[in-house]
Amino acid sequence: MKRLLTLFVTLACVAITSEPATAYLKLGTGSGNGTVNLRWDDLPVRYFISNASGGGVTSTQLRDAVDRAFGSWSAVDTASVSAEFAGFTQAQPNDDDGLTVIGFVNQPAQDRTLGATSFLVDTASGEIMEAEIFLNSFFAWSVAGGGEANRFDVESIALHEIGHLFGLGHSALGETELRNGGRHVLAAEAVMFPVAFSAGSITGRTLRADDIAGISDIYPSSVYQRERGSISGRITKGSQGVLGAHVVAFNLRTGKLVGGFSLNANGSFVVAGLEPGPHALRVEPLDDGDIESFFDLSLNIDANFRARFHDRIVVVPRGGGTNDVQIRVEPK
Amino acid sequence: MSHRGVRVGLLWALVLLGAADAAAQVWVGRSGPRAGAFEISGGGTWSAGQDLAEGAATLTPNPGSGSASFELFQSEPTLKSVFGAQVLVGYYITRAFAIEGGMQYSRPTLSVRLSDDFENAPSLTADTNITQYLFTGSAVYHFGSSPRVVPFVAAGAGHLRDVHNGNELIETGVEYHGKFGVKWWSGTGRGRIGLRAEGGVSIRTGGFNFDEDYRTVPNGAVSLAYLF
Repeated sequence: MKRLLTLFVTLACVAITSEPATAYLKLGTGSGNGTVNLRWDDLPVRYFISNASGGGVTSTQLRDAVDRAFGSWSAVDTASVSAEFAGFTQAQPNDDDGLTVIGFVNQPAQDRTLGATSFLVDTASGEIMEAEIFLNSFFAWSVAGGGEANRFDVESIALHEIGHLFGLGHSALGETELRNGGRHVLAAEAVMFPVAFSAGSITGRTLRADDIAGISDIYPSSVYQRERGSISGRITKGSQGVLGAHVVAFNLRTGKLVGGFSLNANGSFVVAGLEPGPHALRVEPLDDGDIESFFDLSLNIDANFRARFHDRIVVVPRGGGTNDVQIRVEPK
Repeated sequence: MSHRGVRVGLLWALVLLGAADAAAQVWVGRSGPRAGAFEISGGGTWSAGQDLAEGAATLTPNPGSGSASFELFQSEPTLKSVFGAQVLVGYYITRAFAIEGGMQYSRPTLSVRLSDDFENAPSLTADTNITQYLFTGSAVYHFGSSPRVVPFVAAGAGHLRDVHNGNELIETGVEYHGKFGVKWWSGTGRGRIGLRAEGGVSIRTGGFNFDEDYRTVPNGAVSLAYLF
């Protein structure tokens, strides 16, 4: 059975109608009693660029920026993903036409949404059949090498949306504050963080460890299977598991951060894609983004606990996993 | 002369000194160990702790936030000092010059102080144990004239094998050491028991470490020895 599953996974605060399956968010959809992860079975992804310009950027400039963004994902040596430019098209990114289209659309009503990705998926297998990325030409955009003041960087936002296109959800590796009725990002360590950096910034052009771990988990290369490891365990509060706790693994050697979530009522979590070696673990509630940016609102996400560190250093093996990490959190 | 030149020069001096000793039998006396004698020793070791590279879990700051850096929390790792055990087997090529092989075993603790969390997670010290094996080979030179109190110097290299809890990860490295010490022999017979004390430095690369640099670890050992 195939149906259009519209997943608005965006850089600003917009709902995701997905149920994540395992660590640091991979997009998923319900299938029978379980969940299947979204992924492309046929690679390279063939994409079209809409020939409409927008926000001060031409379709050719958009194609070049999108090409660089796809190149960043394809360059991850622990993942096997690829994409291919198929040509320009008159089609709009939101059409259900069998084409994967990326382009500008003017959406003034979505005045906090820079871009969004939607999918046509096989809900039985999770296979992505078609994806669309729109960038909101309501905003001013830039493709300048060093960025431009007061304009959002196309390559940075495209890199984020292409992460969704490949099946990644949002990362919670960032800190925000509420300001002027909106959520303002202070810092982040993942391109897949749901709130964009300020206009003019180009720091979002570089994938971080969390992004690399995520894409590698969905499309693992032989290097990934041989050289990366995982940490799994359970987050509890009292005698109950905690759903939606954000678990961050900090590599004590490299300083790299990779996050994951506890994703069932039992509080089970897996953080995968980790480089071998000792890691410190930190658990925090999901309080730096709207919960609907990460999870289906029907889920009973527990954010009522205090952040804490795990009292043991966890050593990640090469090509294997460290299991049974138990972390008990306390209510706020 | 460069430092490398000095080291090479000293090494040759040591070898030549041993060769001269073989001919002249500098360590005289009927109580001295004969060429071809063996020495077995076993005892306790101590290795100094070391502060590893301090670091912070940093996030990339939003340029619009006006901050140049953003630390999620601080980490201060320390490899604690540790007591262990060692076994050594030596073979006297001459009365003064011996070669020696051995193994050290210890279980150092890696402790990391996690603090200054942005969301006020309570600070704590997290730890884990490492099982450390060090396989060494040394050249040993004995000097002095007393048959009972015998100072010595030794230098050599080793293979370091650090095994993390539960054999989850094995990391290997190379070790170089220099040490000096004293052997007190209980008698002057062909087979004799003694006490051996030594101290020195171990220079290590690889194994469990937080960077690629060489690290210097002061250490010492006390052993019971049997010469035969």
